Formats: sequence, C-alpha cells, structure tokens
Amino acid sequence: MAVSFEYVAKETATNLWRNRMMALAAILTVAVSLSLVGTALLLRQAVNRQIGQWSNNVSLQVFMNPDATSQQIANVRSMIEQTPQITHVTYLDHAQSYAQAKQVLAGELTAIEALSPATVPTVFRCQLKNPSEATTVQATFNSGVPGVYQAISPSRSIHVMQQVTNVLQLILLVIAIVLLISSLVLILNAIRMAIFARRREVGVMKLVGATNWFIRVPFMLEGLVQGLLGAVVAVVIVLMSNFGVSYLIRHYKVSVLGSAVLPAHDLVVTELLVVLIGIVVGVAGSSVAVRRFLDV
Amino acid sequence: MIRFDNVTKSYKGLAPALDDISLEIQKGEFVFLVGSSGSGKTTFLKLLLREAVPDSGSIRVAGRDIGDLSHWRVPYLRRNLGCVFQDFRLLPNKTVTENVAFALEVIGRPKSVIKTQVCQVLDLVGLGQKGERMPHELSGGEQQRVAVARAFVNRPLVLLADEPTGNLDPSTSQGIMKLLDRINRTGTTVVMATHDVGIVDTMRRRVIELDRGRLVRDQARGVYGYGDMTSSTRGVPVVAMAGNGDLGHDAAGDPVTSRVAAVRARRGQR
Repeated sequence: MAVSFEYVAKETATNLWRNRMMALAAILTVAVSLSLVGTALLLRQAVNRQIGQWSNNVSLQVFMNPDATSQQIANVRSMIEQTPQITHVTYLDHAQSYAQAKQVLAGELTAIEALSPATVPTVFRCQLKNPSEATTVQATFNSGVPGVYQAISPSRSIHVMQQVTNVLQLILLVIAIVLLISSLVLILNAIRMAIFARRREVGVMKLVGATNWFIRVPFMLEGLVQGLLGAVVAVVIVLMSNFGVSYLIRHYKVSVLGSAVLPAHDLVVTELLVVLIGIVVGVAGSSVAVRRFLDV
Repeated sequence: MIRFDNVTKSYKGLAPALDDISLEIQKGEFVFLVGSSGSGKTTFLKLLLREAVPDSGSIRVAGRDIGDLSHWRVPYLRRNLGCVFQDFRLLPNKTVTENVAFALEVIGRPKSVIKTQVCQVLDLVGLGQKGERMPHELSGGEQQRVAVARAFVNRPLVLLADEPTGNLDPSTSQGIMKLLDRINRTGTTVVMATHDVGIVDTMRRRVIELDRGRLVRDQARGVYGYGDMTSSTRGVPVVAMAGNGDLGHDAAGDPVTSRVAAVRARRGQR
C-alpha cells in the first residue's frame, strides 16, 4: 500500500486548518501542562543539586584555622574518631579544600580570586549516624577546641526547604497530570470533529476501497502534530524560564544558589522527555478517537 | 461472478432482512433487483460490499468466499465493486474531475494513470467538457453520471447501483440506463436495485424479486411485476405486457399472474 507522503501531509494540514480553533485549544492545553511537567522536573533537579551542594552530602563539617598546626589537626582527628555519633570522616587538605571552594563558589569569580590554597581552611567532613544529632555534636567542636575555626551542620532550614519543594513538586505534577488528561481528551475531541467534518470523504474512501490505514493515518498524524506543537511551545516556555532564573542568579550573584543553574545536559534530557510526552499524548488521543469514531 | 448460497441475514430482533437466499449471477449479466421497500434489496447490496456479514450461508464474489475475508482485505474486495447510489454521494467541495480522481487517489494509483483514466471515463459518461464544474452546478442527471464515472473509473468487475434513478425524472433516467447498459456491454456485471417500473419493463433483463427477505422470482428478460400492490402500479405491467407476447422464460403460463397469485396465497389473501 502506497500512502504517499504528499497526500498525507496535505490532508493533515487541511484538517488542522479547517479545525483550527479546536486544534489551538488542544495545543495550548498540551503546552501548559507540559510546561508544568518540565518545570517540575527542572525544579526537582535544581533543588537536589543545590541541597547536595549546601550540605556536601555530609552532616557535619569541622573547618580548621588555615594556620592550624599539624599537632592541632591530629588532636581534632582523634577527637572526632572518639565521638561515637560520627561514623565516617574524611579530611580535605589545603589543595582539596581549595578545589571544593571553587566548586561551591562557581559563578562568583571575585570570591574565587580572593582565595588561595594557603588561605582556605582545611576541613574534616563527618557523617553522623543520625543527622538530627548534628547540633549537639557541632556544639562540642565549637566550644573552643584549639585550631578549630568553626563546625557547621546543614541547618534545619535546608530540611524544611527540601520538604517544601517536595510538596510543591507534587502539586505541580498533579496539576500537570490533570492537564495532560484534559489535553488528551481535547485532542480526542478535535480528531473526532475532524472525522465528523470529513465523514463524506471517509464514506467515499471506504466505498472505493481505500485501506483502513490510508483513511486513519491523516487523522492520527493530526493528533501527533497537535501534541508535538504543544510540546514545542512548552519546550520554549521551559527554556525561557530556565534562562530567566539562571540570569537572575548570575546577575545578582546569588552565589548560594549557584548550583541551581542546571548544566545543558540536564536541560536537554528534560526537554526531550517533554517532547516525548507530547507525542505520546497526541498519538494516544487520536488513536482512541480513530478507533471509536472511525468505523472502518 | 456472484453466488449466494442459503444466505440469511437478520437485524436485531426483527424478521430476517434476507431469508435463505441462493442465486448465481454470471459475469457480464445485467440484473434488476426489485421489491418493495424493506424487501431486502439494500441488505443484499450491503452483504456484497461486506458492509454487513450474513448470519449464515456463504457469498462468493469472483470465486472468493467473502465471509472468509480478513478485515484488512475488505478494501481490496471493494476495489472490484463499483457503487452508485440514489443520492449520488459526490464531494461538494471538489470538481467533477477531482471527484472521479479521488477514487483512484485513495487507492494509491499513480498520477499519470489517474489522469488518463479520469479523462477516458468522463468521455464515456458524456461529461468530457464539464470536468472543471462543481457538483452543485450540474443537473441531477449529470451528477449521477459523475457518480457512475467514479464507480467505473477503476474498471470494477461488478457495478452495484442502489436506485440510481430514484431522484431523476424519466427522461434523465433513460440516459443513465443507456450509460449503465453501455458499461454492461464492456463485460461489467451490473446489479441494480430499483423501483422504476418503466425502466425494468423496457430493458427486459434478468429480474430478481425479493419480498420480505425471500426470493420470490428470478426471471430472465423479466418485467417489474406489481408485487407491492399499490394503486399506482397495479395493473400497469399487465397492460404493458398484453401486447408484448414475450413472457420471459417461465413457459408454464403467464409468469406475472401466477406470481401474484403466489404472493397473495402467502399473504393469506383470497
């Protein structure tokens, strides 16, 4: 069976144009819902990256004075090893600590320039059996141990923030799913109207022996195009909001949020996922419509 | 070409639309399918097109049992069956040429073939000069010619016509019948369901009569008869036949009279 590309393209374009108001509604709904999906996914990645950065994935960091003697460092190490709540510890010397600082301060060139390996404090990174004990353990190291500059643990606010973003993300995803379902129904309805508008042609096609797929393909393609166009709009919206946020973070030098600027790789993967969902929704909607309303 | 073996078809809960029909139509025959409304003529054509499937019995078209046909093969069956209807079923937004070409486009014929075949068939139906007209600019007779052209453009083995003259005045109908006759002469089998007494009586071709789903008459070179017993047709064929002398192949007396008697007996009248 030769379904000519030209014929299918022409039919699909005519259908979309004839049905443009329905198509527009479907496309915009897909766009809004997929924007939410994309935003939720990016938010999740940004928050995870940022929180990981803030807490360095450790529960307690003990910073030494840059000029602490090796005797003082050894003392602190043995003190840490004798603290029962601490399960694991790694020590970053000047060079490693400097590398770490550069990562944390990425995006803030002046701050990095002010640092040098010699002036950066060395640090013990400790993992606690139970992160909720962080404040008490932290206090023992902050009570004037010689050579210790400061002991810090991720504050409760980080955990609160994590929970808030989790809830926010859940809400976004629920809204997105509801909108995705409604866009599927809208696409289904748009295709149904297209089928109704062309019932004469379809009748003649059946009569003269056009194959089922020949009759179906233009309608299914119409749904696919609607899903795809919606997804493309969503991709643009998500990209623009992402660049907007990144720009604000850089422009106002909000260095604490430096890691919330996502690398291109994460963006591309998310956008591809958005496009894929758009196509799936379009094809699913039109398949159901074709099966239910195009009796071939 | 077409063969029905004990075909029965009924719609939900109703009396059968076709009841145990067996018949055979040879290649190149011209057959009238007559009977009152609801007698099963349309069901007969629908079964041939496989728009409906018989409850029992088998139907063969060109040697193939179409009951066995898988779903995706049905379109290929329909490519061998041209179809004409009372209401023309032309696409109003396409020109005459486009309407006819559409039938070939959607079965994937190449453009060059479409062009020559459409020209040929429009000349055949006498609309060679009106290819660029829209359907609404044409008279009913011309529209039906377009429909015939569309049905015939792919050179089907069989042309099915469901009351093709139902919307046309007698002289226009004559033109359509001449056209169908011409198509029949090319070797195409024509099956035409009709109510048109005049046409059936002048053409003198094989007549198959259905009455409430039953085959009540199958007569070579037959006439319409007056099985529906309405005042408008009662008696007319008898008068027409009186001077004719050709009483069909039923040698045992007047076929019309005997058939009417049979119908009456079945209905419990007199």
